[in-house]
Amino acid sequence: MAKQTKSNTIVHPRYGCAIGAAYTVAAIPGAVPIANCGPGCVDKQYFGLSGSNGFQGSGVASGGDMPSVNFGENEVVFGGAKKLDGLIKSSLKIVKGDLFVVLTGCSGELIGDDVASVVKSYRNQGYNVIYADTAGFKGNNVRGHEIVVKAIIDQYVGSYKGKRRKTLINLWSEVPYFNTFWRGDIAELKRVLEGAGFEVNIFFGPKSKGLSEWKNIPKAAFNLVVSPWVGVDIAKHLEQKYGQPYLHIPVLPVGEEATSEFLRKVVEFSGISPDKAERFIEQEAHEYYYYLEHFADFFAEYWFGLPSKFAAVGESSYNIALTKFLSDQVGLIPVRQIITEDPPEKYREDISALYHDLTDGVEIEPEYIEDGYLIEQALYDTDFGSSVPLILGTSWERDIAAERRGLLLEVGTPATEEVVINRSYIGYRGALTLLEKIYTSTVGGK
Amino acid sequence: MAKRTINLDMTACENREMRIGSITSWDGSASELVEASNYEQRGKGEKQKGCAGGKGRLCQLCELNMPFSQQTMCANAIVGCQIGNITDCILIDHGPIGCSANHARFNLGYKMGLVRRGKPVENLHIFSTNLKERDMVFGASDRLRQTIQDAYDRYHPKAIFISMSCSTAIIGEDIDSIADEKEAELGIPIVPLHCEGFRSKHWSTGFDISQHGVVRQIVKRNPKKQPDLINIVALWGTDYFTDILKPLRLRVNYMIDMASYDELAQASEAVATATFCHTLGSYMATALEEHFGVPQIDAPQPYGIAATDDWLRAIAKIVGKETETEEYIRSEHERIQPKLDELREKLKGLNGFVMTGSSYAHGLISVLRELGLGVEGSIVFHHDPVYDSGHEHQDTLKYLVDTYGNIPHFTVSKTQPFQLYAILKRVRTDFVIIRHNGLAPVAAKLGIPALAMGDEHFPVGYDGIIRVGEILLDIVARKKFNQVLSRHTDLGYTNWWLSQKDPFILARKPELLNEPIHEENGGKYDG
Repeated sequence: MAKQTKSNTIVHPRYGCAIGAAYTVAAIPGAVPIANCGPGCVDKQYFGLSGSNGFQGSGVASGGDMPSVNFGENEVVFGGAKKLDGLIKSSLKIVKGDLFVVLTGCSGELIGDDVASVVKSYRNQGYNVIYADTAGFKGNNVRGHEIVVKAIIDQYVGSYKGKRRKTLINLWSEVPYFNTFWRGDIAELKRVLEGAGFEVNIFFGPKSKGLSEWKNIPKAAFNLVVSPWVGVDIAKHLEQKYGQPYLHIPVLPVGEEATSEFLRKVVEFSGISPDKAERFIEQEAHEYYYYLEHFADFFAEYWFGLPSKFAAVGESSYNIALTKFLSDQVGLIPVRQIITEDPPEKYREDISALYHDLTDGVEIEPEYIEDGYLIEQALYDTDFGSSVPLILGTSWERDIAAERRGLLLEVGTPATEEVVINRSYIGYRGALTLLEKIYTSTVGGK
Repeated sequence: MAKRTINLDMTACENREMRIGSITSWDGSASELVEASNYEQRGKGEKQKGCAGGKGRLCQLCELNMPFSQQTMCANAIVGCQIGNITDCILIDHGPIGCSANHARFNLGYKMGLVRRGKPVENLHIFSTNLKERDMVFGASDRLRQTIQDAYDRYHPKAIFISMSCSTAIIGEDIDSIADEKEAELGIPIVPLHCEGFRSKHWSTGFDISQHGVVRQIVKRNPKKQPDLINIVALWGTDYFTDILKPLRLRVNYMIDMASYDELAQASEAVATATFCHTLGSYMATALEEHFGVPQIDAPQPYGIAATDDWLRAIAKIVGKETETEEYIRSEHERIQPKLDELREKLKGLNGFVMTGSSYAHGLISVLRELGLGVEGSIVFHHDPVYDSGHEHQDTLKYLVDTYGNIPHFTVSKTQPFQLYAILKRVRTDFVIIRHNGLAPVAAKLGIPALAMGDEHFPVGYDGIIRVGEILLDIVARKKFNQVLSRHTDLGYTNWWLSQKDPFILARKPELLNEPIHEENGGKYDG
């Protein structure tokens, strides 16, 4: 491989663009995205974030069903507002939904369409139609996710002066669809938080009550951000808007010790009685260690070799969560951790610090690379020692994993060799599934 | 080479709707569409009657313009899955990263294609210039220069292609000049492709743009004839053509997917050009015919017995193997007959529905009818009233209607799932055959299983009929899954819309949109 340095170039992309946030909208039960962009834009996002990412599917009003202006030459030359107006009008008549979110892409923003005034006429008639500026050149789909969430808060949730409920939490964690296992993971977070005595607005996926949860945002006692950085700006925005405090826990909890510690932190911050949480933790721990004890036979006695050194390539929330768990709870050795979603500069120091204290005496300096060629080069140069290399990555690492004769577990965008329905790799239950997946991939002489 | 319809002097190729009058929205019977298309006259470039005032080949068929539309593919995506799948060349997406969001999907198809063609399997390497807001303001040409250089330094490709995106087209990036400049500097062809998504109303223009670039800058200018080489313009399909053409002793040169630079370059040396789908292949076949004298096969596509016979005869005529071919055709008929009889018996009483690209659908319907299945309707994603060649015997829709009878409900619609409920309600069908995404999930929720025709060569030739018949028996069994789904899931469309019988009602009666929304929709009543 030719030695290369970082430039604007990207090969093997690991994210979509801001209009990929159409899938943030699609993840909200009752919400309908309206794509105000060219014909191929959201189709590409579908494949990037769902179709080629665990084959997650689309449900209603997304995938092929997503309303889209499909900008043509006519709209570029004469403006797209008229066609958008016709599309909103007909969407309200044809597509079931309680909230319609217009997402404008590159073409509409570059030609300067006045989307706000088109949308306003529907709002004046009492329809829940809002808009977000999500041109692809504004950044990737993670940035788009934050833009869209703020747009819904500002244009749909609105102002609130009432009381807050002490046990109600707003949860901001994984980015729907982009985090391949978001549905299972968010469900597990909800389960454990409810087990500890909370009610949780999760906003996305089948376990969310949908738009009523969004309307209830201001009623929550606080915002809980469980991610290295995504959602922090949303929590700050809510703090400013509703005077709501927030708790930022940067690492998704994986395994009993991390999840129990996570729950104790949330309970302490909330000020509710810890009794229920402690009873729940005891019960979960009992079950968890039952399974771990049985797994231990295999782990101690498997004659045919197991991986020791591992690399993690992917967006930061899964990267640190899995790196932490495998280092601190399993005793695997991190040798190359590459963060790929281009986190804003202002958060990078804090993210890196998480890798400096993984467990007693284990630290690593993570790298921030978005270009697949440079990522593959880094993996090519990584010393995995004498045991089989383990790479937690994406489909793009297939070739380099084969070249290094390593094991690849696809845990992030894109994942074309995983079918994901409701699997989770976090919390109490997800940690066990993760162990199953990793070690299933190692047994049988692979 | 009397006439030349394809201009290789220009870097851009003309949109399909302008060149051959393609449409994307129409509803009627297949025989009505044959009549309205007036292929023969258009093929000769004669003036057309009609509402556009008789502008010859350009006259548009009257379309049904709907105010509602759903996401589709674009020409830029098509270029990605064509040019991005050449083994030793590099494609650069000149745009923001979202234009490249589907590379993993293309990679999946590419790797599958490499397996099918027995080539070494590895990831594709499409590049992105990854443009940001500042590039929209200050211009992105230096980004493109950098990425061309990166592509060259990393992989030493035999050629580099540049694809235009909506944003780079709007800000006026001059990819032609940068291509010229870097071509002089690097000494390899650098090919600009004007495939911004908003340009054409149908993504299939992306095939033409890809082929235009290949014929214009890759194909050998001074060909040395290879008398046993036949071009097949194809996608990712399994190599069934080698078997079919074996008695004619022809080697197959597949283009464009999974081809190498040299395989593409030799296209001008072939004895003829054929394709599995005229919608896909006609531009390239015509360009090669007009500019390099490589004749194209003037026959329908090889689907069903009659068309396969005609297709083989047309090739035999070019390569002078008529006698052997007649013997081959006879023995093939005899060979498949027992199996065909058996399948016809097993499939008796079943109906099918085809939803694919234009002329490919004509071929698939022929295969279904050959198997004795009923076909009461079909959706084609666009319709070309004539192909670039204008050759009389390539009129696949007319051939279908003449050989196998009319299709009462023939719809031209660009992957619009919201119309599918009404469209499927008016026909009987036990399964759908699909390509492209978005429609099969709706059919699935209506209890109808889908055959995703991902290997587009599957139905080709005599054995293709047998293959399709056998797999349909498997597919029909899957309706168990679809029936479960239909009992428990919702389509997501309002009852008002689902009560409409005409899938194009809003084009005919746009005033319906002004009537109040009866249901609680749009959150209007949630306070």
